[in-house]
This record gives sequence, structure tokens and C-alpha cells, in this order.
Amino acid sequence: MSKYYLFQDQKRCIGCMACVAACKSRQALPRGPFPSLVVAVGPRRVGNLPRTAYTFMPCFHCENPWCVAACPTGAMRPRTEDGIVTVDPDLCVGCKTCISACPWGAPQWNPETGKAVKCDYCYERVEAGLEPACVTVCPTKCLYFGTPDEIPEVRRERYARARAQDL
Amino acid sequence: MDSQTCNVKKLHDQIEQTLNDGSLTHPRCRQRATEIFDLVHDVSQGLAGDDHLDSILELAQNLADEGLTPACRELGEHVTAFVDQHQEEFISHIRTHTCPTGKCPMLTPAPCQMACPAGIDIPSYVTLVGQGKYAEAISVIRRDNPFPWVCGLVCTHPCEFMCVRGRMDKSIAIMDLKGFAAEKAMSAHSYQNPEPGPDNGRKICIIGAGPGGLTAAYYLALRGYRVTVIEALPVAGGMMMVGIPRYRLPREVIDREVAMIESLGVEIRLNTRLGKDVTIESLRSEGFEGFLLAIGAHGSYKLMIPGEDDYEGVIPAVSFLRRVSLGDHRRPGKKVAVVGGGNVAIDAARTCLRLGCERVTILYRRTHDQMPAHHEEVVEAEEEGVVFSYLTIPKQIQGADGRATGIVCVRAELSEPDDSGRRRPVPVEGSEHVIEADVIIPAIGQEIRPQGLEALEEVDWTRRNTIRVHTVTMQTNQQGVFAVGDAVTGPATVVEAIAGGKKAASAIHRHFEGIAQPALPRVPVRRRRLPHFDLPASLKTDLDRPKMHQLSNDRRRITFQQVHLGFDEQQAHEESKRCLRCDICIRCGRCVEICRDKMGIEALCLGYLDFDNPGPTDLRITAERCIACGACSTNCPTGAMQMTDRDGYRELSLCGTVLNRLQLEYCEVCGAVLGPARYHDYIVKRVRDVSPTSNGRRICLECARRQSGGQHAEITPPPR
Repeated sequence: MSKYYLFQDQKRCIGCMACVAACKSRQALPRGPFPSLVVAVGPRRVGNLPRTAYTFMPCFHCENPWCVAACPTGAMRPRTEDGIVTVDPDLCVGCKTCISACPWGAPQWNPETGKAVKCDYCYERVEAGLEPACVTVCPTKCLYFGTPDEIPEVRRERYARARAQDL
Repeated sequence: MDSQTCNVKKLHDQIEQTLNDGSLTHPRCRQRATEIFDLVHDVSQGLAGDDHLDSILELAQNLADEGLTPACRELGEHVTAFVDQHQEEFISHIRTHTCPTGKCPMLTPAPCQMACPAGIDIPSYVTLVGQGKYAEAISVIRRDNPFPWVCGLVCTHPCEFMCVRGRMDKSIAIMDLKGFAAEKAMSAHSYQNPEPGPDNGRKICIIGAGPGGLTAAYYLALRGYRVTVIEALPVAGGMMMVGIPRYRLPREVIDREVAMIESLGVEIRLNTRLGKDVTIESLRSEGFEGFLLAIGAHGSYKLMIPGEDDYEGVIPAVSFLRRVSLGDHRRPGKKVAVVGGGNVAIDAARTCLRLGCERVTILYRRTHDQMPAHHEEVVEAEEEGVVFSYLTIPKQIQGADGRATGIVCVRAELSEPDDSGRRRPVPVEGSEHVIEADVIIPAIGQEIRPQGLEALEEVDWTRRNTIRVHTVTMQTNQQGVFAVGDAVTGPATVVEAIAGGKKAASAIHRHFEGIAQPALPRVPVRRRRLPHFDLPASLKTDLDRPKMHQLSNDRRRITFQQVHLGFDEQQAHEESKRCLRCDICIRCGRCVEICRDKMGIEALCLGYLDFDNPGPTDLRITAERCIACGACSTNCPTGAMQMTDRDGYRELSLCGTVLNRLQLEYCEVCGAVLGPARYHDYIVKRVRDVSPTSNGRRICLECARRQSGGQHAEITPPPR
């Protein structure tokens, strides 16, 4: 598990895809790959109103990533310092096993370079003390980036507030 | 120039480096640099047109002039200077679609094309023959060689020695396919000349109607020159006509191809010897501005042994072959001794058999392995009954009543290899013996007869008694006088003379148009980029080089009928399908490396890719091991290795050879294509330790995301 955790407050998300666009543009990706994606669920009728939920799907940077196990060349590796799972483009040969192995579809195919590409929590930005691109551009501030021990607090707070509103 | 550096690729990499290192900070600057990069990339991919170079220079100039940042100015100035310096190489990439260093993968030429002195685009015409497009094949060949039929019968085919398929089993019958295509096209009246350019009014005189002279005539006529060829003999064709015997090259073949050249408006004046019937002055007064000396090498080296000049019956091979070719079919004698080990010696010996000589012996001072004659020719001569006497050195010619009666020889043995590694024949003492012969034919080499060229005093000659020319421009010391063929190279081959003729035509054109002569060596031109044939690996492996039909041995011994009867259509088509298409697959070996070293699968067994140390090749084994991951095709720089989904199967093919074919599986949810089962088995096996339950999932990327997105969504529909 990576040292970091990216949490999305779905109540606030309006599905504007700014995060998705920022992610693609930071990595200068062509048509096709989406290292992070907002999945629209619904619309479904909740109460008497149609509602759509938006789920932000980056890479979860698993503890025992299947993609890492599947990768035959050692290109897919968790970073030793923070556990962020990244692809080394020099080692990747484009066999796509990581893509097929991941249960969440996180590694993506870059047809231009013929290599896998994935969410790396913008580790260069993180190392420079910034937030990942997706988090920075979110207009509703529904994305939080931090360490796992901070996140439950945010989550609990948000949950409590929602409960309070419901009442 | 260092032959290993490609300056186009170098500039390509330099700009890429500059773009990546972040030194270009200004957005407009980056945009321009990216545009320049794209244009240079086009040049290195063979996608560039004539305007590309100007656009690159203009953009670079803008970059330098604007000078938005020092890095921009520097890049602009560098590109301008670099392109100026290597302009010829850039133009060569654009025009020829060939990068002789092999640094630009899409432009790497096939080894056969590189080996061909005329630089014919062999993979393209071989493919066209396989498609049954014979006329197109001929037009591809004639861009580089106006004698496809002649060369299809008698070329020394250096291409076949370099053929990559030869590392696997046997080389492609490149020469025979050319002959086949020419015969088919000629017979169908589809063998046609290209449209010549407009008449430019300049008159060029070519001295000698051999392959070199006629080739130059052809390419000059196509450029709009008025060409006249003067020929001393009563026939056109030069050594092709009077040097090569009819059983190898029927006269009709030469006549038809010469007629094609004549129909472009080239005038051939037969029985006209320079210095006797016409002079340089008389030709100049006729208005000829340029001269091309293509007089060949029609003299014979002498044996330099006693008795050579004393007896009747000693006939130099070149004179003998000329006499027979011009129609004198009288038997020269009963017992013939031919001295020499080259192709001319074999030709003379086989001709003697056909004229009815009872016993024909070839005397050669070295061994069978060292014979310069082609192996096939030697075998055919043996089949016909020519006797070979190796390690035999002639000493003296004996005679009686003015006629030769025999030749005194000594036996030799080979010395230990000397410093140069050559084993020389050393006479064995006391081994003198007499070989009875009433005809003795020295065939130890030809020389140039310079008679008739006395008027061209300025023309410089080499120590080897050949005409000295500039190797790129083929121009002699005298302005406007060029030379090609055997007269320049010494006795050589038809295809070398053709190559020279083509080069001379281009140089003459540049000379008169005032275009600078090229500084770099000639580069073969990629004429086409044709699709390959799709066929299964087992068929590609099993197809064998067809055996050439031959005339019966009895008939070979008594007539001058053509010995090689040619392929039939089926054979020709199959043969062209054996071609490995080295114009597409450049044998870089990346696919094998990745499959073996990176993926650890070892499904590709392509030992032929390594030219110097070929290993075993098994095209069939891929189907047993390959998981169809596609890493090989993804990393193939030329698109030779391809993975395609077709009719419910995933196919891996190398230049159309289907190496593996696996049934596809589909997403359980949306029906999108997933990989084949073997691919999934490979992944399941690898992730087993971290995910013991991962088996059995057949779901595509999109659906996986959607599903897990749904699972994480925080709205739950109310129960209905």
C-alpha cells in the first residue's frame, strides 16, 4: 500500500472531468488512455429525483499489486520510498499483461509509445510538495490527497455532516 | 563520411533531445521545434516530399531570427547549419527512400538490393512476380536496369549470395524470377518503355553497343537526349552478343531488348569503327557534344609460353567465341585444350563440345575450389562431358607442319598459405607431360584494345591499361568524354557494365545541365513498398527453391539451344512467396530479444536474423509457445511483425508469415475483444501468489472500471 491515499468526496463531485483532463494533459497522452477516470453511475431515482454518482477511479496503489506480479520485465514497480506503483518506460515492452491483470483497469495503453501508462499520483509534483494534478484542478474540492491516517478523519467529518443535513 | 552515421537520424535525435530536456521554454519556440522535428521525422521515415527540406530550413531560420530565448536561437542556427552541411544526404533520403547506414529503420534497404551493382529494387519485383504482375515487375526493374531479360538469364547474381533466405535454406532464385517476368511480359506485349522526356536537342555519341553503352543510351534517351551508338561489329549487344554463347543467352533475347532501346529513338550504327570509319572530328562536326567510351575488353591475354604464335590452332577464347557467335559453326578441331578457370574458359569449352569436338579438356593451374568460374557452370560443363585437369600448368605448345598437336604441361601442388593466406600452385619437378590437342584456347583474361582512341590524347589510362575515370562521374580527363564498362573496370560482368552506364547517363546529364555532381556514393532507390503475401509458417518453411528445368544432356551436347528452360508459372509464384521481404523486416532482432530476454517466453526462433552467425530457424515453434502478448509487434520499428485480430482469432505474423493464431475470448459483459486464453493463463500463473482467486475473470478494461466504480458509488438505489 502506498504511503499516500487519494480520497474523493462523491457528494461534492459534479462529474466535470477536470481531473481526467488534467491527468491526461500532464502526461501528454494521446487519444485512448485514461490513467484516471470518473465513472458515472446512474442516473437512478433516489427519492423522487434522478441522481448520478461519480466515482473517481485512479490507481489504488495496492499493497500486493497484481500488475506488478504480472509484469514480466520488472517495469511495473512500487517505489521503495512511498509505495507508489509506477511503470518504467525504459523497461516496459508493451506486453499489456499489467492491463489485463488489474481488476480495476488502472494501467492503460498508450498507443503512441506502445507502452503501459498509469496513475503515479504525480509523484514528481508530490516530491516537490505539490498535490497531484487532478486534485489541484478540482473545482469543487472533492478530491483529497494525503496519507491514509488523515483520510478517515475527512471521511468521518464528511459523513457526519451529510447525516446532519439529512436530519 | 563515416558510413555508420546517418546525419538525418542524428539531427532527428538531437532535436528530440532538445525537446525533451526542457531547454525550450517559450511556447512558440517549442511549437516550431516540434514542427521541425515532425518534418525531419518524415524524412527519416521516407514520407517526405521535395518541399520538406525548404520547410525545415524556413522554420529553422524563423527560430533563429525570432531568437525568443538563447536556446531557440541556438537550435535554429544549428538546424540551418546542419542541414546545409548535409544537404545531399537529406535529399538522398527524400528521393531514394534509402538510408544506406540502416539507421533509419523504414529506409533500410534489403541486402539483395545493396548487393546488386545496378541497385534493382529486388523485393518489390519479386513480390510483383508473385502477384502475377509481370509488366509492373519489368517496369520496376527497368528503372535501374534496361536489360531484365538478359540479366534474368546470365547475371552473376551477387544478390543471391546476400539473400537472407540463403541463411535459412536456399537463396531465392532472384535471377530466374527476373528472366521469367521478362519472358512473360515480352510474350504478352506488355514489356513497354516508359514515356521519354521532351527532346532537349543535345547530341551524345556512344562508342560501343554493349551493355554499358546501351544502358547509358537508354537513360539518356529517357532524359530527352538524341543518342547515337556506333558499333564496330555487325551486331549490337557487345560481349552479351559475341562473348556469351547462345545456349546461355539466345540471340533473340538481346535483339528484343536492344530493339526496345532503339524504339526510344536511339540510333545504332553497326559496322562503324572509331578511328577507321568515323573519327572524333567527324563526329564532332556532326554535332555530338558528349562522348561515352564503352568499347569493352575484346583483347585476350597471351599465355606467354613458347609456341603460342607459331602454330595454327591456337585461338584466343574471346576471338573464338566471337567467331562462333557471328555464325561460324565449323568444328575447330577434334581435341581441344582450354587454358583457364574462369567463366570464359567454361563457355569456350562448352561451345567446342557443341561444335562437335570429341574431347575438350580445361587446364587450370589451381584447384576446383579456387576456380573463379561459377559453380553451376562448372557442374553443367562436367555434365556435358568437359574434362577438367586441375593443378596443371602449360609450359609449351607443340606442333607439326604448322599445326598445333599438343600442349606440354607440368603438374603442380598447392604451397602452404603465404602471408596473404593464398595457396599458390608450385610446379612439381619432373612432372612434364603432353596433353594432345589440335586446338588450344587460352582463356586467361581479357584486355582492352585501345585502337581507335588515339585521337583522344588527353584520356588518361591506368597501369592496368584501362581508361581512368572519376569513380562518381565516370568522366575521363577530357571534358565531355566519359567512359564505362569493361574499358574502365577491366573484364567484369554485364550487370556492372549496366550499373556504370546508368551512372554515366546521370553524370552526363548533370554535366550538361550544370548540376553539381554527387559527392556521396550512389545509393539504390526503393521503388515501391508493396504489401507482403499472407501464408502459414509451415508453408513458408516447406516451400523449396524450384529446380530449373533443363534441356536433355544429349541435346545440350549437340545444339546451341538454351539449356535453362525457365520456371513455370506455379513455380515462379511459389518462389516469390519464399522471399522474406528484407525491405520490410530489417532483421534488427528486437522481437527475438524481447520475447526471449524480457518476456522469458522464447517463442521466436529466428536464427537467420543474425547475418554473420546465423542460428537455427524454426517458424513453426512460435505457434507452440507464443502467448500473443504483442510485445514483439509493438516494438517492431518497421511494422514487419504484426498482430491482428481477424475472424475470431489473434494472429501474429512476420512479413505476412503467420507464426501464431489463437482463438480470441470476449468480455463477459460487453462482448469487447479480450486476448486469447493462453495469454490469460500466462497472467493467472504470474499473479497466482498475490491473488489465488483471480481465476476465471473474463472482463474487459472498461467494464472492470465501470463495475468497480459502481461498487464504490455511494448512492444505492432504493429497493423496487
